[in-house]
Amino acid sequence: MKSRFLKLLALLFAFTLIAAACGDDDGESTTGDDAADAADDGGDMADDGDMADDGDMADGGDDMADGDVSITVTGPERDESEAGAIQEVLGAWGDENGIEVTYLGSADWEAEINVQVEGGNPPDISIFPQPGKLADFARAGHVVPLNDEAAAATAANWSEAWTVFGNVDGVQYGVPVKADLKSLVWYQPARFAANGYEVPETFDEFTALVDQIAADGNRPLCVGIESGQATGWPFTDWVEDMLLRQHGPDVYDQWVAHEIPFNDERIVSTMQAVLDLWTEDNVFASSGSIAATAFQDNGQPLVDGDCFMHRQASFFSAFMPEGTAFGDGEGEVNVFYFPDINGDRPVLGAGTLAAAFNDNDATMALLAYLSTPDYAEARQIAQATRKGGGATLSGFLSAAQGQDPSVYQPLEQSFLNVLETAAIVRFDASDLMPPDVGAGTFWTEGTSAVNGDITAQEAADRIEASWP
Amino acid sequence: MQGAILSGDDLSKIISTLVLIVVAVGASAILWIGVNLLFNQVRTSWTRFNALAGYAVGFLLLLLLQGNRLLKPHGPDADSITRLGELLWTPLLGALIFSALAVILANNDDQAQRLWITSGSGLLLGGFIGIRLAEDARPELEILPLLLSTIVIAALSAGVALLRSRNPVPAALIGAALGWLIGGFGVPELGDGSAVESAIAAAVPGLAFGARIGLSKNADVAGRARIDAKSRGAIFLVPALFFVTVSLIAPTLTTIWLSLKDEDSVDFVWFENYGSVFTDVNSFDVGDWTNIFTSLLFILGVLIGLGGLAIGLVLRKRTGDGFSAGGPAFAPLMIAMVMIVFGVLSVLRGTIMNNLWWVFTVTVFSTGLGLAIAVLADRAKLESVAKSIIFMPMAISLVGASIIWRLVYVARDTSKSQTGLMNAVWVELGRWSTGSGIPTVLGTVLVWVLVALGVASISRSLTSRAYDKVPLRALATIVLLWIAYRFTFDGIGGFRTNSAGETVSDTIFFVQDQPFNNVWLMVILIWIQTGFAMVIMSAAIKAVPTELIEAAKVDGATESQVFWRVTLPQIRTTIGVVVTTLIVLVMKVYDIVKVVTNGNFGSQVLANDMFEEAFLFSNTGVGAALAVILFVSVLPVMVLNIRRMQREA
Amino acid sequence: MGSNRPGVDTAIYGFLRRIPTGVLWLIVLLWSLPTLGLAVNSFRTRDNQRNAGWWNVWRDDGLTLENYDVVFSASATAGLKESLLNSFAIAIPATVIPIAFAAFAAYAFAWIDFKGRKWLFIATVSLLAIPLQVALIPLLRLYNFGSHWTIPFLEKTVTLIPDFDLVNTTTAVWLTHTGFALPFAIFLLHNYISELPSDLFEAARIDGADHFTIFWRLVLPLSIPVLAAFAIFQFLWTWNDFLIANTMAGTNPDAIATTIRIANLAGDFGRNEHLLPAAAFVQAFFPLVVFFALQRFFVRGILAGSVKG
Repeated sequence: MKSRFLKLLALLFAFTLIAAACGDDDGESTTGDDAADAADDGGDMADDGDMADDGDMADGGDDMADGDVSITVTGPERDESEAGAIQEVLGAWGDENGIEVTYLGSADWEAEINVQVEGGNPPDISIFPQPGKLADFARAGHVVPLNDEAAAATAANWSEAWTVFGNVDGVQYGVPVKADLKSLVWYQPARFAANGYEVPETFDEFTALVDQIAADGNRPLCVGIESGQATGWPFTDWVEDMLLRQHGPDVYDQWVAHEIPFNDERIVSTMQAVLDLWTEDNVFASSGSIAATAFQDNGQPLVDGDCFMHRQASFFSAFMPEGTAFGDGEGEVNVFYFPDINGDRPVLGAGTLAAAFNDNDATMALLAYLSTPDYAEARQIAQATRKGGGATLSGFLSAAQGQDPSVYQPLEQSFLNVLETAAIVRFDASDLMPPDVGAGTFWTEGTSAVNGDITAQEAADRIEASWP
Repeated sequence: MQGAILSGDDLSKIISTLVLIVVAVGASAILWIGVNLLFNQVRTSWTRFNALAGYAVGFLLLLLLQGNRLLKPHGPDADSITRLGELLWTPLLGALIFSALAVILANNDDQAQRLWITSGSGLLLGGFIGIRLAEDARPELEILPLLLSTIVIAALSAGVALLRSRNPVPAALIGAALGWLIGGFGVPELGDGSAVESAIAAAVPGLAFGARIGLSKNADVAGRARIDAKSRGAIFLVPALFFVTVSLIAPTLTTIWLSLKDEDSVDFVWFENYGSVFTDVNSFDVGDWTNIFTSLLFILGVLIGLGGLAIGLVLRKRTGDGFSAGGPAFAPLMIAMVMIVFGVLSVLRGTIMNNLWWVFTVTVFSTGLGLAIAVLADRAKLESVAKSIIFMPMAISLVGASIIWRLVYVARDTSKSQTGLMNAVWVELGRWSTGSGIPTVLGTVLVWVLVALGVASISRSLTSRAYDKVPLRALATIVLLWIAYRFTFDGIGGFRTNSAGETVSDTIFFVQDQPFNNVWLMVILIWIQTGFAMVIMSAAIKAVPTELIEAAKVDGATESQVFWRVTLPQIRTTIGVVVTTLIVLVMKVYDIVKVVTNGNFGSQVLANDMFEEAFLFSNTGVGAALAVILFVSVLPVMVLNIRRMQREA
Repeated sequence: MGSNRPGVDTAIYGFLRRIPTGVLWLIVLLWSLPTLGLAVNSFRTRDNQRNAGWWNVWRDDGLTLENYDVVFSASATAGLKESLLNSFAIAIPATVIPIAFAAFAAYAFAWIDFKGRKWLFIATVSLLAIPLQVALIPLLRLYNFGSHWTIPFLEKTVTLIPDFDLVNTTTAVWLTHTGFALPFAIFLLHNYISELPSDLFEAARIDGADHFTIFWRLVLPLSIPVLAAFAIFQFLWTWNDFLIANTMAGTNPDAIATTIRIANLAGDFGRNEHLLPAAAFVQAFFPLVVFFALQRFFVRGILAGSVKG
């Protein structure tokens, strides 16, 4: 505090110099600088004046950072229940260890973290929803590798299928902290039963069911891809899920790594397959416009019976109308696994990874804690309580090993079951690709294709051209 | 609410916030007023001014050296009080010496004595500072670069002074001092030299600076007045210029530099980034330009424009004034301009074209509406209510605004009730105009009554010989007639005929349907910025001298004549301010597009593109190039506008 | 005028004459509709907001204060009181200081004679065209590290502005606003101040007043309408700003502004969008108070008597 006061004092004097210097120069000048120059001089002097108090102030501010007493964590999760739960759990951990931990969610995380890193003001830890971004930062040297302790904890608590997303060129940077399950179809069991429909076990059965529902004069699917800044992301999820089913994980990995071009025939055909499924007869959307239908507006029509199925991630429970119960009873909503084609049960997942911007002991200790089932359980309990407790779904899910399943609701346990039994887990491709594509053209050109402005081939060509 | 509203913690937070605000505002105020008061002394007491100014200069000069740890440093472990003391005592001493010297000089008019005093004390002070220099700041003198830089810079300064027909000696002295400093301290490694060397390195510039000051004459009364006048210009400008330099000029120069480099700001790629922007089909797509001539908007616009032109030409022949603002040709020409621009820009697509469209539309409509509302409200009852409601959108944050307009534009399946106001109205209008119930009958009556009113207004202006109002009223009546016709016969609004030949409801995708989704996005900004235009123009209208308006009214001018002939010319430069500001502001628009479409559906604009490239995709080069394009493209408009305003003022 | 007309005619023409005022109120009505919808929705539950337009509010089963309750009590990002205080700590200095600096500069550009002032004025105002995004990273670095300049060839680094440890403070936010506000403020104030009648100044100078006195005694009091106009906007812009507050102080929970808190309330994927109407009104409250408070300074006749002839 004192050192800052000192700086202010110095600044005051510095300003005095500006004026004094100007006056002197002009006043006694015989070379006769005019006043415009004087004004410029003033500007220069302002800079000079500020030099007045360099030196000893510079280190005053840094002392705090070396103290290791406080840790700031940022991330994209930010609403009352999520951020509140994270803060509660991390705060409790901090109290035990004598460290002040602050979590701050950010509405514009993707841009903000770039600015903070460029501006030299990153948080201690940030929670990355995009492994691609984490890898960029790791290669640029912005985030630091886990120390042995944190790396060991991560390896012990998470299966390799998940830790690999935080692994950049063989070095572990990220700790998985949250898992989302995307290969799910939401439906109402009672409505299915009333219409004599069965949950499809294979992809053929799924398409047959779609045709059947449409033939019965109903709409099989709810699809809406409008999501403000992120418009188009549900389409990319569909494409990824379908690609995984049609062409398998190897092609998927090559596609993500850009070893095959984006406009590869197989990718285009998968995009086309999604578009072919989304015909006007098959989809319930605003007057037929999928691009105009908000992603979050798909819950109500599902419950109302305007459509029968909605393929969306595990966190979609939060977008169901208030009071929706989850189960097999009348009016209740449940999920089934989005069926596979080749019987290999691939699962499309997403999630978040924590990584550190410095290797202080406290920071690393917190990362180690974040990987534990203890953290997952505590967060699940805290978040469920904040959502209202009882049978409410928290919207949180973790694939950490060794969690007590009883902290989860039955539906959430079934999510965990899918995750555990999956032989193949792949991360959301758009989060792995460079942001130019994954949060850029894949969304925008995909939206154009869905809107019918361009063909799947044109969209793929344009996305390929934008690959950095 | 239970318990106290404010806890102790809150109170202390409030207090510390208040203290922060008061210190920030107060310190700036005291500083600035203090400097002004200091310079007030120039006229009232020359000696006191010199004493104070000398004190300040001396203090700051030495504080600068001490603060940079160039003078004898304090121990690393000293507490802050000791540090403060050590930091201050040399500057305080220096301040006293400078102050004394300044007082002596202020009261001595003998040129020779002045020279001796100043050069002598310059030499001594320089030497003293040199000896006091911290060990790691002592230079090891190298004669050749020292002399070279001194001579070269002194000669250059003298040369420049000669070229400007000024006395070269003072300039040469300053040049020599600077050259000596650069050669002495800049070139060699610091820290290797002895105390004697650093004394020499500092004493010579001291001598030169001193001599330079001694050469000047003591200011006489006229000279003091000149100092006073000139210093005020600087004092009044410096605070603003300082902030502007740090927060705008410096970053802009950096940006221009970065725009010539690659995405990681490592290698120079010169104009490649600019090339990639201009060759991108998304920023420039004028392939369909021939469609302009088949666009209905364009054709109608040209027809109305020709009509307006004809009226104007005829009038000019008769009265010598056909195209003045508010005249009969004015409204048709304005309408024609808007229609033609819309016709052209809805065909030529791409980010850059979108920006042009935004700038034109929002500027024209916000300014026009803002002016109309300011004028109309000025004479209306409940002025403050009207103005507050128009202003309200400005107070609502962007997050709120985007939610609002989502609520206005959203389209739902026609089997559901519409939650978007526009689509609800549109769909209902379609139902009425194609139906046969009571609303349909009422609606039909209403539209035809409106047509009748339009006809009545035309006949009114004909009978009262207010011919200048006829064209606008005729246009409005024709539009009403068309609406009435459609409503009665074909139907108007949200309906379509489906494949089975039945009439069913239909919605508009305001945000998704290209290219006019751009206009609906612009409406959001118009909704917000009209309040801005209104407030500023309202302030200007209030400032129009009442005498002028009264005089015009005494001469028998009507309300509208008072507006066009008296008020408008008086607030012309303010309109210039609003237009210029809006052009720039709209050119930089990004948040509405970002939140509502994020550039999807052909609605991308430059600033959002730049934001994405720079902050999301980490393409620093392209992002910087987009920023420069944005800046440079509005620059000419701004400079021309401001120049014109300066001439008018 | 003055000829006798049948009653219907008079009525119709009377109606037509009122059209201008009618147009005003029509615009006012149109302008208020979106806000009205927002106001109504702020009292409706999430599902009601999603399923029926706000004009169907009479069909809802009662209104709710729940949204406001959440907005008031949420504390995950920051409490309402803390964030409001921070917003004030940003908006007040960011309004007052640019007004002062811009008034000084505008006066200098208008009434102090020096060479090149026209071009210096144009150059200053042209900075208005710079998109503020370009300055975010440089300024963040400035607050973080200070400003240092390595002299070319000599390889000596000079500290131009030291590190004041301002990053993550509200001070950094309002300093940034100050810089960005000045070109517009100077432009607006100069336009007004330069059109003050010059007789005033001549009279004052004959009485021996210097620039400082003229500025305090004449220019400031006479410029109140334009100062009020600018104050309204600057307060509002800084109050509603998200980008700068988030960039300069976004990682310090003690410096969170209300805009950041509200953006966080909405959650990802618009999870809690139904809270935003209520939040928007809470957020708009203080700017509206400022508008109403300053509106009374827009008065006619502040220059009355100052124009001779």
